[in-house]
Amino acid sequence: MTRVRTAPLAGAAALVGLAAVLVGHSLENGPARLGAAAPSGTGGGSGPGGSSPPAATTPPAASSKVSGSASGALEQYGYGELSVAVRAEGGKIVSVTVTKLLTADQYSQQIANEVIPMLRSEVLHAQSAQISAVSGATYTSEAYAASLQSALDKLHLK
Amino acid sequence: MSVTFEHGGASAGGTRSTRSSRRAAHPTPSAHTLLAPAPRPALVQLAVALAGVGFGATVGLAITAETSSQLHAPGGVAMFLGNLTGMAGTYLALVMILLVSRIPQIERVLGQDGLLRWHRRLSPWPISLIVAHAVLLTYAYAEATRSGIAHQLSAFVASYSGMLLALVGFGVFAVIAVASVHSIRRRMPRERWWALHLGMYLAFAFAFLHEVALGPSFVGHPATQIIWGVAWAATAGLVLTYRVGLPAWRSCRHRLRVEEVREEAPGVTSVILRGRNLERLAVSGGQFFEWRFLTRGMWWQAHPYSMSARPRPPFLRLTVKAVGDHSSGVAALRPGTRVVVEGPYGAFTAHARRRQKAAFLVGGIGITAARSLLEDLTKASEPFVVWRVHEASDAALEQEIRTLLGRLKGTLHVLSGSREEVPMAEAVRLIPELRRRDVFVSGGEGFVQAALAVLEHRGVTADAVHYEVYAL
Repeated sequence: MTRVRTAPLAGAAALVGLAAVLVGHSLENGPARLGAAAPSGTGGGSGPGGSSPPAATTPPAASSKVSGSASGALEQYGYGELSVAVRAEGGKIVSVTVTKLLTADQYSQQIANEVIPMLRSEVLHAQSAQISAVSGATYTSEAYAASLQSALDKLHLK
Repeated sequence: MSVTFEHGGASAGGTRSTRSSRRAAHPTPSAHTLLAPAPRPALVQLAVALAGVGFGATVGLAITAETSSQLHAPGGVAMFLGNLTGMAGTYLALVMILLVSRIPQIERVLGQDGLLRWHRRLSPWPISLIVAHAVLLTYAYAEATRSGIAHQLSAFVASYSGMLLALVGFGVFAVIAVASVHSIRRRMPRERWWALHLGMYLAFAFAFLHEVALGPSFVGHPATQIIWGVAWAATAGLVLTYRVGLPAWRSCRHRLRVEEVREEAPGVTSVILRGRNLERLAVSGGQFFEWRFLTRGMWWQAHPYSMSARPRPPFLRLTVKAVGDHSSGVAALRPGTRVVVEGPYGAFTAHARRRQKAAFLVGGIGITAARSLLEDLTKASEPFVVWRVHEASDAALEQEIRTLLGRLKGTLHVLSGSREEVPMAEAVRLIPELRRRDVFVSGGEGFVQAALAVLEHRGVTADAVHYEVYAL
């Protein structure tokens, strides 16, 4: 039986491997990567419905000729937290953007990235926070709606 | 017809040595057969270094996948630790698989038993890490979604791709891990334990799937997915090559069949096999094969038995002591039975020598490995053999060994009696010039442990002690 001294070698090699990955990572991303800090669900702030001329709409109700922007509350939703901002023109919701999205894991982030555009178009279509949840992303949908509602409340819109 | 293996030994002339045996200088192959290549410890060091770098990189990947903001989310710390333990645990499990993959360059240095010892010593780490992974992540997600543990488990299965398989894999893994605990394993027949152990391959295939589908180091990182996939595929390839492909190829090449079965002593049986191309089978004295006899009751299990002589083309011989169902079945083998082999394995060879002279401490049937190893020694080694047997009539192959030692100017001491009657210290005391010799120890576990302790006490350095344990 040949005895081979291995523990120090394995330990030193592990440190080399670890250092290589950490250095490579920081070179690639810069020292302060906050992957989730850049909200990825913002997909086009103006949105498809955002180009409607401001004065063209008839005023439907007393409180509805509102124009302006507001940010919604930050909603904790289990797999993470998110907040949205809304912009209204002439009482109509013209855009919804995600201002903050943090998820606990990459998989939830991926789900959020997939459903946020769907939720946004639902909102633009429904013109309110009364939207139905996207299946498989109930928590995300609820948080999105809740944050949107708080933003709409600030604008005194619906 | 009777085949004789008695005229072994370092015969002059007609010796055909391999390149590697010439480089190693000591061993001289005896008959017209090839010696197994010399072990190269540097390759093991290289493999250890690579495995170490891989481990560091794996931990690094787990760390960099997490952002500081994610750590602060509810359950974030448990989530991070859960991912880290999962990555580290599966990586170490991969190393454990490689340790039993029979890579010849590694096996030659450490020996099959050495590799199994490493495999066993490493095992608590991946087991505890993977259990921690499952517990931590269930807790983390339950915390994050503010739901109960039970609800979270069903949510995993329902909405995460690959999680159902991963849970099944974890169940298989847990059962096998428990079955491998020494006290439980001992109560199970070797074959059943072995069959159960195969389930690990399945468990790790499942683990791999959920890992790349959900792992924070892999989702959205195609490069990491590819590297990880290549590492796993390479491991699977090595296992298939060296545990399935190579044995199948060797078995086809040599086409071994039982030629003769002979009783050497009460309960001790030699099986002589006839095969083709045996002069091209590179094997060292002292090595063993895993033999699979293709008969109705035995084809599905392979058992390790030492060659009890160097091959004499077209013949090969193993000698077995009846202790279990399989070894008892060997005595009933019929001539013509086909035999499939895995091996040769084992580092208990003349390549291991570090001194000019040699001594052997042999317990019972451990003589078979010593017998074939003696054939690779020269007169300069003046082999001194101390052999403990229960009764004088148990000394199978004694005449052969005396003939061989006569040619090598060696000495044989047969001590009959139980462990208590023949203390190890006394057996060792018989060996002259003890510290100027390599000491080859071969026998059952208790015998080998006792011998190692006495040798250490007598100041024989570890590099001169070589041993092979016979598991019953």
